[in-house]
Formats: sequence, C-alpha cells, structure tokens
Amino acid sequence: MGKIILAVAVLAALASGVQAGTLNGVYTDIQAERGAVQYRQHCARCHGAGLAGTFETPPLIGRFIPYWQGTSLDVLADYINTAMPLDRPGSLGRAANADILAFILKTNGFPAGAKELSADSDAQKAIQFDSLKRPPEVQNVKTR
Amino acid sequence: MGGCAAHSPAVKPASVGMGDRPPPLAAIRAHTDRLFDIKVCIRPFRTRGPNLDVEQIGDAFVVHNYGHGGSGWSLSWGSAAMAVQKAMSTSPKEIAVIGCGIIGLTSAITAQRAGAKVTIYTREMLPRTRSVRANGGWTPDSRIALAAEAPANFGAVWEEMARFSWKTLRSYLGLPGNPVAFTEQYRLSDTPFGEEAPRDPDTPPLPPPSWTGLPTQGSDFGRYADRIQDITSKPQILTGDYNPFPVKYVSRQSGLFFNFTEYGHLLTSDFFAAGGKIEIRDFHAPSELAQLKEKVVINCPGFAARDWWKDKHMVPVRGQTGWLIPQPEVNYGLTYRNTQVLSKTDGIMVIALENGELKGYNDSDESVRRGESERAVRVIEELYSRFPAIAS
Repeated sequence: MGKIILAVAVLAALASGVQAGTLNGVYTDIQAERGAVQYRQHCARCHGAGLAGTFETPPLIGRFIPYWQGTSLDVLADYINTAMPLDRPGSLGRAANADILAFILKTNGFPAGAKELSADSDAQKAIQFDSLKRPPEVQNVKTR
Repeated sequence: MGGCAAHSPAVKPASVGMGDRPPPLAAIRAHTDRLFDIKVCIRPFRTRGPNLDVEQIGDAFVVHNYGHGGSGWSLSWGSAAMAVQKAMSTSPKEIAVIGCGIIGLTSAITAQRAGAKVTIYTREMLPRTRSVRANGGWTPDSRIALAAEAPANFGAVWEEMARFSWKTLRSYLGLPGNPVAFTEQYRLSDTPFGEEAPRDPDTPPLPPPSWTGLPTQGSDFGRYADRIQDITSKPQILTGDYNPFPVKYVSRQSGLFFNFTEYGHLLTSDFFAAGGKIEIRDFHAPSELAQLKEKVVINCPGFAARDWWKDKHMVPVRGQTGWLIPQPEVNYGLTYRNTQVLSKTDGIMVIALENGELKGYNDSDESVRRGESERAVRVIEELYSRFPAIAS
C-alpha cells in the first residue's frame, strides 16, 4: 500500500513539473556560505542572526517549514524577490536571493548537494519545499 | 496607528464652566529607564482608501477588507459590517476570514452575528499582529486615503463606517478592565493655538521623499472628521487656575481609546464562545483561497496585501510607539512639543509626532529607533520637572 501511495505521489509530482524536493540536496555548501554573508548584511536585522525571528518578525526556521511545505520553491523565491528586504523590496536581485534561500535551507537542516540552486524561476518551480523527516538538532534518534 | 485626532484647529474652543474644572492630575513618571517596550508597525495605508471589492478566485467568492491606514481600530466594526453584508448575500453557512488583526477579528465576529460558522485562517494571533503595534486612540480619519485618489463617494462610505463603529463601541464601554474608554487629552503649547511654534533645533528633519507625486503635505490626506462632529466633543481652552500645567496655552478634549489587552482578549473570547475556530496557516498565492472548504472568504491581510495580492495602491507608513511602565493613577493623555502620551492599562504610550503626517510615509523599516522614543520621553520628563517639588 505504501509503495502505491509513493508511486502515485511521484507521478503527481512529475505531472506538476516538480522533479525534486528540498530533501534531495538542491543547493551547495559554497552557495549557502555566500547566502550567509548576504543574510547577515540584509536580513538578520529583522529575522535575527539565528533566523528565529522576534516577537514581531516571522521566524525562518521551525514553523517556517510547515508554512511553505508542499509549495514549489519558486513561490518562496518570488516572495523574497518582490517583498524582501521589507524596507527595500526587490533590491537584492535574484542571484543573491537564491544564495540567501540556500542559506535558509541549510540552516533549516536540508542537505546540501552538488548543484547550486538556480535563480531561474522555472528551475525553482521544479523543486518542492519538503518537510524534514526529523528535527535538525536530532542527530541520532532512538527508536524503541 | 492613528496620529493625534483630537484638537482640530478649525474647531472653535468652547467656554469652560465650573463643572468642567479639571481634577488634580497625577504626574507621568517619564524617564528613559522606564521605557520598557518600543513597538514599530507599518500602517496599511491604501492611497484609494480601504479595499472592499469583491472578486472570484476559482469557486471561492472573496470580499476584501484591508487598507485602513491609521484608522483600522476606529473603523473596524463599520468596515466589517460592509464586508459581511457582501459576504452573506449568497447565504453561506460557513465563512473563512483571512487574518487575525483587528479587521479580521471584527469581521469574524460580525459574520458570526450574521449567522455564519466562522474559521479564521491566520499566521499570527492578535497580540503578534501589526494591529497591536498601533497607539490605540480613536482616530477614524488618520491617514485613511489620499484626498485626490479616494473615490468620489468615499466620504459617505467613511461616515457610514465611522458611525457604525462608534455605535458598536458603545457596547464595550464600562466593562471590567475598560476595553474601550474615554479619556481627557490635553494639548499644551508654548505659543498661542493657531500660531506655528518655532521649530525645535533637536527635531530631526524629514528625510527627502522616497516617492514621487502625492502626498507633498499633510493636507493631501483625506479629512472626513467634520462629518461626525455631532458625536465628537470640542476642545476647551483652559486658562488661569483651570490650567493644570506649567505651560501657557492648554486645551482639553475628550476622546475614545482602546486598551488592547482587555479589548483583544474580550473579542477573541467572544469569537471562541460563539463557536469560532482559528487555524494557523500561511498563504502564498491568492489561488490558495480556492482550496479552502469555505467558499465565501473575507480577506483581511492588512499590509501583507501589498505583496500577497500585488496591490500597488498599498503604501507602508511606519509608526513607532514607546511604552512607559503603566501608571493606573494617570487617567489622561497629552500632546506637547510634537510628543503625544496616552495612559493605558498596558503602559503609557509615547509617540514622536514631528514632521506631521508625512512622517513614516513609504517607510517599511520595522526596526526600532530607540533614540526617537527616548527624545520623546525627555520632552515629557522636562515638562514634569517644571512642576513644584513635593515637600518631604
């Protein structure tokens, strides 16, 4: 039964143009390092150095994942491209924002891969925002 | 967040009789070390006035209710009544409300009162929305539209909203905790009213405009308060021993204000008591509204409409309030040297008003500027330092 559901999910994903998920290594470590520099410069003032947000500013970790889970990555990228930073929306450019997105994915515990996250909207559309299988802090989960 | 709606200079002050003598006033302990919170918000200003349009998204029927500038708390019930009227026209059993700021919450309660089962879908509960970063005065025409861009009938629509809200707020007066209350607002001036005060050299200048076109001056914002003069009080000039302040020119006006904690708690409790549900979720595109089980949606996203609905008429208007430790014995507010204070149950609100209504326009920087709030506190600190010292 589980295999059938998985097969149906894969077919549905292919039909919608989604080819990979954020669990499949959709950015590189070097890209995330570039993103970290940009993040500290342009984003950390509101969202905090640890991405935890504040009482007023939404976090980019934790509940951030269920908020975006199931959407294709271009939706989040477009939001960042048009709405962020809040006081200068759209000022960073798509390439820098793709790097920042890579840093956000890394901080959330999504694995790095061999290929950089593209700044191209169509390429991002093929990537689904997944949920994590386990909290990123947990390295070794004991099962009983 | 409104500005200071009280004391329209166009209104002739009334005479003051014995019965109107101000009671002794407790001093505000204005010191920067008592500044325990600073809140920054973005008023959801819409140049054309609030959006109350209706549109179809898939098979969902969406009634918009956002863009109330500095007048959201004040106009919420009237605006909600208009939105719910449209929403109920197809006799829905269930209604979805998007957003849990003051507009969303009052829309949801109004829809319940119209007979619908309501679910609020929101990213945040009321205490973490931009609504509660307002100052909380009843300011129904504070940056609500640009006069030149508002529709021709907007004055009439505004009046209907304001009057309906006013009537609804009556039912919240006198309740425990004072969710909504009247207070006295004193206006203090070193120069006669109507004369422009000399500019304080410490006042930071208005930065060069970050926009083109209107507004170029405060009077470019629509003014509608004259339409409801019959329900609002007039300022009184206080002279001689009726003047409780060590400042030459003083007037006083009664005004309504909101205590966010009590009022917000009451509204949320009322919503749940009537069977309302709240679901925490985020939306990324308008098309997602068609996925909701409810097929009638009242959309109250506030400033998020700019990015979510690509509403080009939305302009951020930054506002910052400082909060001094509450003093229950202080039951008034005042304005002096471009600084306004108002005593509320959750703190004494302090706001710098310099540069008038253009201040914060097109500024969406939500980070705290502590110096601004400290300067405002020092204005009030200096004022109370002029009162005679109490002998020990």
